[in-house]
Amino acid sequence: MSFWEKAEQIDRRWVYLMVGLAVIVPFIVPAEFPISITPESRMLYDAIEELPDSCTVMVVFDYYPSTIAECEPMTRTALHHFWRKDCKVITLSNIPLGGPSMAESVTREIAREYGKVYGEDFVNLGYKANYVAVLSGMGTSIESIFPTDNSGTPLSEIPMMDSIVNYEQVSFIFEVADNATADYWVSIVNAQYGVPMGCGTTAVSAPKYYAFVGSGQFVGLLGGMKGAAEYEMLVGKKGKAVIGMGVQSLVHLLIIALVILGNISYFVLGKHKRRLS
Amino acid sequence: MLKTTVPVGVAFLSGIALMVSFFFRENTFVGSISQDLKIWLTIVGGFTLLLGVVSITRVNWQAVKNRKEGWGYKLLTLVSIFAMAIPAILPASWSPLFGRNPGSIYHWLFTYLDSPMMATMFATLAFYIASAAYRAFRARTAESTILLLTATVVMLWRVPMGEAFLNLFPGNIPEFLNTYVMNGANLAVQRGIIIGAALGAASMSLRIILGIERTYMGKG
Repeated sequence: MSFWEKAEQIDRRWVYLMVGLAVIVPFIVPAEFPISITPESRMLYDAIEELPDSCTVMVVFDYYPSTIAECEPMTRTALHHFWRKDCKVITLSNIPLGGPSMAESVTREIAREYGKVYGEDFVNLGYKANYVAVLSGMGTSIESIFPTDNSGTPLSEIPMMDSIVNYEQVSFIFEVADNATADYWVSIVNAQYGVPMGCGTTAVSAPKYYAFVGSGQFVGLLGGMKGAAEYEMLVGKKGKAVIGMGVQSLVHLLIIALVILGNISYFVLGKHKRRLS
Repeated sequence: MLKTTVPVGVAFLSGIALMVSFFFRENTFVGSISQDLKIWLTIVGGFTLLLGVVSITRVNWQAVKNRKEGWGYKLLTLVSIFAMAIPAILPASWSPLFGRNPGSIYHWLFTYLDSPMMATMFATLAFYIASAAYRAFRARTAESTILLLTATVVMLWRVPMGEAFLNLFPGNIPEFLNTYVMNGANLAVQRGIIIGAALGAASMSLRIILGIERTYMGKG
């Protein structure tokens, strides 16, 4: 049996082992490569920088725990960015499974760093079913859709919400999503209420949202862990996304090497000729 | 009548009300009806979640009761649902273990069981993708060759090591990829898909409002 025949029939467990090593090795031997900034990430950063200090913003946790690795660095960095500008932050989620809990944990952890107080500097509205109605309804009154916050405290008892009625008082929305809810934020909230909006999404969803950046409906876009790493670099808060770049680099290179190897064996063994005949 | 005419009537009236209200200001009569409908929609949405819980409980409980194959897993499903749901529903004022705040049973189960399990499930995709790419991603036709080459250079561009490699070649390949692949070909195709899907959704909504489309009621 030739080398190429052996390569063709390689046990998939060897592939799994190689991927496993590619994931583990960069954590043991970290190597830092320069991370270039794409225009889409720069645009998002610049748009947030241009917001007036102490304005009100929304950070939307529309992702499941399965994509924490890609999405959480975005929300964390955004919170650092907003609180450096002393913004008031409203968090909410259209994801029933974990969104409000992740918002609660992440915001409270970063709030401690900046001495922010719940109810005065940030509020977690939690989750409400039927996101189309939620997004549209908040355009008239946030309190009518979310009468209480995530812990059940009436919004009327939360000082920060005294002056916030609907989207008119919200200067910016940062939507972090691993699903199609970002489409609805664009078509309902940006298109109908004109609120400036930025988006962070998983790498697999990012190509779709270039269309909304092109149309100006998103002021910028963070695509996957690379986008999150770029944003961390811009904000100057290197975190898990920058560390994750080493892992992602090796896994991408491994997959590319495997694809090249597979194609060489495909042609060397003449399978393309058999297919044609 | 209750099974067909009433649901069609409700769909028609709700759809028309929401559609018409789009053209009215919020502080008008039509605007206020629309806002009430949106609040109702969130309440109905909550009940659909409850319906899901009832349904999954019934199906799994029957399997456990009749000792069907894999009944142990179904029992685990039921235990998991209620172990997370009941402490989360009970008011936090009764005990710090109830509710959904940090320190509650729900929050502990979510942080230390649910979240890592979901992340692990998703992470295993990397292993399958690597294996599948090795076996199936072949330059069989001209189209698949274009896809393969584009995917390879975009994958290289999206990681620092790959980008450093691409920068060894003349002609600023990363900028070319961002301008002509992502913001060129990709953007144009995505726009086509988005517009097509939106037109499809609009026509389907109209069919439902007018009662032509009844498959959502189990009718042909």
